[in-house]
Amino acid sequence: MSASVKLVPVQDAYDDLLRRTLSKIPCNLGRLIYLASTRDYNSGAYHHEGLAARFHEDAARKALEVAHRQVFHLVAAISLEDLVSELDVYLKSSHESPEEVVRTWQKLEPYRIAVPTEVNPTIARLFISNLRLALAILRFRQEPNPSRP
Amino acid sequence: MTGAYGALFVGALLLFLILVWLRANLAQRDDLSNHQALLSHECENLEACPQEFVSRIFEAEDLKFISRFESPHLQNFFRRERNAVALLWVQETTTAIRGIMHQHLETSRRSKDLHVATEAKIFAQYAQLRFLCGILFVSIGLVGPQKLRGVALYAQELTQQLGHAQLELDSAQ
Repeated sequence: MSASVKLVPVQDAYDDLLRRTLSKIPCNLGRLIYLASTRDYNSGAYHHEGLAARFHEDAARKALEVAHRQVFHLVAAISLEDLVSELDVYLKSSHESPEEVVRTWQKLEPYRIAVPTEVNPTIARLFISNLRLALAILRFRQEPNPSRP
Repeated sequence: MTGAYGALFVGALLLFLILVWLRANLAQRDDLSNHQALLSHECENLEACPQEFVSRIFEAEDLKFISRFESPHLQNFFRRERNAVALLWVQETTTAIRGIMHQHLETSRRSKDLHVATEAKIFAQYAQLRFLCGILFVSIGLVGPQKLRGVALYAQELTQQLGHAQLELDSAQ
């Protein structure tokens, strides 16, 4: 009884998060980065001001955690070719120079913080590995080469 | 005399294969040792790697994509990265089956009604899995994960079967 009462606000908060926020982000990689940014670096707890105001703080936190995990699995499971496309869309929507972002991401690997806690280590490693490769491919495409069409 | 030359040739061939294997695995092993502590530490809470991810790691689609760029640097980078992920999965599977067998031994110790046939079947599955993991560990650096997809998926299926068998025995106690 109490479990079902608690689950409904989480589902409502999740649906609201999907409808109001995540649907407006153009790609899954962008959604993943956004969701990871709602997590506190020190405590690992999720927080979203608007969602917590509309629903209970715990429901909002759980909804963010579930959404983060789901989007992470979606991004980690896609092929390298699709990830390159996702990264391309993300870079174009970032309003920064794509070349600069690629260089910074290669150096700092900020996407490491996009991995949810308690995720399978192989899946986490696959995600990081694929992003490294996708960045290397974009860098390769960006570099001027007269022999390439 | 011919026999001595033959033995020398086999010896040299083995040495060459070992050197190739060592070279191919050196980079991945550094990476793997970083994850090893994490794996043993989190062994009990480890979420199993779903089949779609195992399939993704070992399939050839990404290799075909990267080959289109005709860049030796990108291809080498891809091989290094994908080998490291595949080796981590093998390590994770080995840790998981060790954990299952550890639990099974505990269950068997408590049991007053041991079935020899069931025990023999579980042990045979465990031995087969350890052998498969050994084969995968050695072969990934030599031939690449893409040629070992069938073995990896079979090992994953067998691990699930072993886990289920252990759960059933545990709940029957």
